[in-house]
Amino acid sequence: MVVETFPEIMTWLFGWQDGPGAFYIFLLLVVAACLFGLFFGYLVAAFRHGPGEAFYVVAKVVANAGPDWIRISPRRIFAIARLAAKEAVRRRVILIAFIIFAVALLFGGWFISGADNPERVYINFVMWGTQLLILMMVMLISAFSLPDDIKNRTIYTVATKPVRTSEIVLGRVLGFAALGTGLLLLMGVISLLFVWRGLSHSHEISRAENGEVVMSEVDPFTTGHRASENAVTETTTSLDSGHRHWVEIIEDVRDKDAPPPVNMDSVISQETRGEKIVYRRLNVTHEGGHTHKISYSDGGYDMSDARGFFRARVPLYADQLVFYDRQGSPRRKGISVGDQWGYRGYVSGGVTLSRAEFYFSDFTANRFDNADKLPLELTLGVFRSTMGDIYTRVRVGLQFESVPAEGDEETGNRFRSELLEFESQEFDVQVKAIPRKLPGQVFAPNGELIGSGIYDLFDDFAANGNIKLIVRCVDENQYLGMARADIYFRAADQAYWWNFTKGYMGIWLQMMIVISLGVSFSTFLSAPVTMLATICTIIFGFFSDAISKFAVPDVEGGGPIESLVRLITQKNMGQPLPDTLGTQIMERIDMVFIGMVRSVTDIVPNFSRLDFSDFLTYGYFVSNDRLLVAACITGAFCVGLVFLGYFSLKTRELAG
Amino acid sequence: MTEAAAAEQTGDRLVQTNPDYDPDVIIETQNLTKVYRDFWGRQKVRALKALDLEVRKGEIFGLLGPNGSGKSTTIKLLLGLLFPTSGRALVFGKDSTETTKNERIGYLPEESYLYKFLTAEETLDFYGRLFDMPSDVRQQRIDSLIEKVGLTWAKRRQLKEYSKGMTRRIGLAQALINDPDLVLLDEPTSGLDPLGTREMKDMILELKSQNKTVVMCSHLLADVQDVCDRIAILYQGELKELGAVDDLLQVSDETSVRARGLPQEAHEEIAQVIRKHGGDVVAIENPRTTLEELFLNIVRESEERPGRRATSEDREQGS
Repeated sequence: MVVETFPEIMTWLFGWQDGPGAFYIFLLLVVAACLFGLFFGYLVAAFRHGPGEAFYVVAKVVANAGPDWIRISPRRIFAIARLAAKEAVRRRVILIAFIIFAVALLFGGWFISGADNPERVYINFVMWGTQLLILMMVMLISAFSLPDDIKNRTIYTVATKPVRTSEIVLGRVLGFAALGTGLLLLMGVISLLFVWRGLSHSHEISRAENGEVVMSEVDPFTTGHRASENAVTETTTSLDSGHRHWVEIIEDVRDKDAPPPVNMDSVISQETRGEKIVYRRLNVTHEGGHTHKISYSDGGYDMSDARGFFRARVPLYADQLVFYDRQGSPRRKGISVGDQWGYRGYVSGGVTLSRAEFYFSDFTANRFDNADKLPLELTLGVFRSTMGDIYTRVRVGLQFESVPAEGDEETGNRFRSELLEFESQEFDVQVKAIPRKLPGQVFAPNGELIGSGIYDLFDDFAANGNIKLIVRCVDENQYLGMARADIYFRAADQAYWWNFTKGYMGIWLQMMIVISLGVSFSTFLSAPVTMLATICTIIFGFFSDAISKFAVPDVEGGGPIESLVRLITQKNMGQPLPDTLGTQIMERIDMVFIGMVRSVTDIVPNFSRLDFSDFLTYGYFVSNDRLLVAACITGAFCVGLVFLGYFSLKTRELAG
Repeated sequence: MTEAAAAEQTGDRLVQTNPDYDPDVIIETQNLTKVYRDFWGRQKVRALKALDLEVRKGEIFGLLGPNGSGKSTTIKLLLGLLFPTSGRALVFGKDSTETTKNERIGYLPEESYLYKFLTAEETLDFYGRLFDMPSDVRQQRIDSLIEKVGLTWAKRRQLKEYSKGMTRRIGLAQALINDPDLVLLDEPTSGLDPLGTREMKDMILELKSQNKTVVMCSHLLADVQDVCDRIAILYQGELKELGAVDDLLQVSDETSVRARGLPQEAHEEIAQVIRKHGGDVVAIENPRTTLEELFLNIVRESEERPGRRATSEDREQGS
C-alpha cells in the first residue's frame, strides 16, 4: 500500500490550485440542486394540479420549508429518535447483528492464525466484519422503518400531532445513528481485544534431546534462505501461531573505543581481536511483520512477547524523484531493463553518474521525536546482468545532500554526506537506521570545499526543511530499481489507539451516509426498493474510482456499444473502426452513456475515501486532514440527503 | 376568554391570520373534492365530491355512510393526511395541511395504529413528547389518562399483548393526551364489546360536556343516534343529508305517548280518543327494551352481586 500525499483540509476546502476547492463545488451543487428541485417539483405539481395551480403549490412548499427547519423542537426529535432506536432494539435487529459478529469472531480465529502476516489478516477481518455488519444493519433498519410506519399506518398517529416533517426525517437519522454508534463502539472494543489476544504469542528455541540448543552454520546454498549480514550460526524457534523465526548469532565487530551494542542482553560472548572487539549476539529474524526480543543469561534464552504489531506508521515520502542516466543527465524515468511493468525505474551500477535523487520536504527533527537514528524503509528491486551467483547481494549506496531554498542557491552552503553502503535485501522491506549525525563535507555555492566533519541531518543538511537522498548502485553491471514510494523515512509513530479509533470513525462516517440514504430513499420508495437502491449506491460508491477510470471519452475499445460491436465483429481494441456514419452515431451514443456514468460517479458518495481499513491493515497513520476531509464529504451528503427526504415526505400523502 | 384570544395565547404556535375566522366554526370545508389517481395520473376513484360542511364549536358531529362512501377520506383530508384535489378544508380557520393546527386536535384512527412494541406508558409518553409537553405535565396527563381508560393494571405491558378493546382504550388515551379542543374519531366503537361501546359513548358525551367538539364517523347507526347532535350522510362521495339528529329522525305525522302503570282497559279508551280526533291508531303496545340495555343491566347486576345470577328457569325450579 502506498500512502499518497494528501492536501491539507483548508487547501482542499478553499484552495484554487487544481480547480476550485470542495467548498465552492458544494455551493455550486447546492444552487444546482435547488434549481433542479424547483423545476422537478413544478413539473410534478403541474402534472397533478395543472400549470397555473402548480406555481402556488411549489411556492407553498418552499414557504413552509423555512418554519419547518427553524421551529424544530429538540424534544420531538429526541422522541422520534428514541422511538426509532427502541424499535430496532425491540425487534432484535441489534441482537442478531451482534450475535453474527460474536460467532464470526469465535470461529474466525481458527482460520486466521498461521497466516503470513497475522496482524494484517486480523485487522482486515475485524474491519471488514464490522463494516459489513454495521452497514447492513443500519441499511435494514433505516430502509424498513418509515415504509413500515406508512404500511402499518402508525404514521397516522404521528403525523396528526404537531410534528414537522423535518423532525420525522431528522429524528430517524439521529436515532439510527445513536444506535449504530453504540454498536460500533462495542464492536470496536471487542475487535481490539480479539486482535490483541490473537496476536499475542511467544516461542521456545528448539533444543536437542539433551536440552542443548543446536546451532548450525549459516549456509544459504543448502538451506536456501538468506540470513542477516554477519550471521555465523542459526537455528529456528518452535512453531507457534503458525510460524517460526530464525534465531541467529551475529558477529558484531566494533572498535575498542566504540560504544558497545545497545541491547547487551542479547550478547552471549565477547572477545578481543587486535584493535577490535567481537560481540556475538543473538538476533531473532522478522517474520510476518513482527519479531521478539531475546535475552540471554546463564545459558538460558528468554523470548519476549511479539514486537512490531500495533504500529501507526507515518511515512515521509519524497515529493519528487529524479533519475540521472550514465552521463549524468536528468531523466523523468530510470533506465529500462525491459520490464513490462514500468512502475520502477533503474539505476545502473559501477562508476557511472547514474543515480536516483529523492527530494524530501518538511524534514524536521520534531517529526522524528528528536531521535538519534532515523528509520529509512526501502523496497528495492534488483536486476542482475551477470549470470551465476544470485546469492551475493547487490550493494546500495546512500548519500544525503542539502537542497538550497529557492532564491538561496547563490549564497547557501551545501552539505554532502559520505556514501553509506549496505547490502540490499530483495523482495522485502528493509529498515535502515540512519544516524542523525553523519560524516560529510561542506561546499560553498561555487563548489569549493570549505570543510569536513560530522554534521547534523536536521540542523545542517536540512536546515530549511528540505533534503535530497541520492541512491546509487555500487556493484558494477548490476541495476537497482525503485519508484517514488519505495523509499521513505518513518517519522515517529503515532498512538495506535488513536489510529484504530480513526479507522472506526471511517466506518462511522460510512454508516451515517448509509442511514441518510436509507431514510431519504424510504420517503418515496418501498422498503425492498430502498434497500436495493441503497446497496447499489454503496457498491457504486466503493468502486466509483474504478468506474470513473472506464468512463473517460478516449477509453481503449470505446464505450458499451462500440465494445459490443468489436466483440461481435471480432475486432481487437486497437484496431480502428471504419469511419462511417454508423461508427459516428455509435460513438455519439457511447459518449452519452459515458457522460451518464460519469455524472453518476460524481453524485454518489465515494466510499473509498471514507474507508481507512487499508491504513489500519498495513499499519499506517490516518492523517487528521484525511479524516476531516472524509467528515466534510459525509456532512455534505447527509445534509443533502436529509433535505431530499424532507421535501419528498412533505409533498407526499401519508394516507392512501 | 374567547376562542380567538385562546388562539392568541398559545403564542407563536397557532397564530390566527385568517381575517374571516369565526372562532365558533371549528371545521369548514368548501367544495372539498378528492380523486384518487394511479401512478400515471389516471383517475381511479372519485372518493369525495364537492363537500361543503361546517362543524361548530361544542357539537358532536357524525359522518354516516356505508363502506367506501368517503367518511374516512373526509377525516383524513381534515387531518392533512391526504391533500385535496380541489376545494379546501379549514380547521380552526387554518388550512388542513398546516402542522400547527394539530396542537388542538386529537385523533383516534380506525384501528388504533400504535407502536406494538411500546408499553401503554411509553406510548403516551411518546405522543406527549410530540406535543412538546414538559416532563411533569406529561407525567400527570399520562397517569390521569391511563386511569381514565382503566388500564392502570396493564400500563407496563407491551401493546402487542393487548386485546382489541384495550388497544382501543389506549388509542383514545393518546388522542386525548393534549387535552384537545377538537376530537376526530374514526369508527370509535368498532371492535368494542357492548360495555366498552357504552363507555366510549359516555366518554364522547363527557367531551361534549367539557365544551369540546367531536367529529366521528361510523356505520353503526345506533351509536351515532345515541351521541350525535348533527349528522351528515354520505353516499359514494356525495353529501345526501345534513342536519340535527332530532330533526332528521322526527316523524312529524305520528305521535307517541309513553306512560307507566296504565291498566290494559285504558288502551281501548286511548284508542277511542285518537279516533275521535281523526287519527289512525298504528299501535298501542308495551315498549321493548334494547338488547344493549338488557346486557348492560345483567353486567351491572353481576358486578354488584358476584356469583351465579338467578334466571327465570331457576325461579321456576325453586317453586
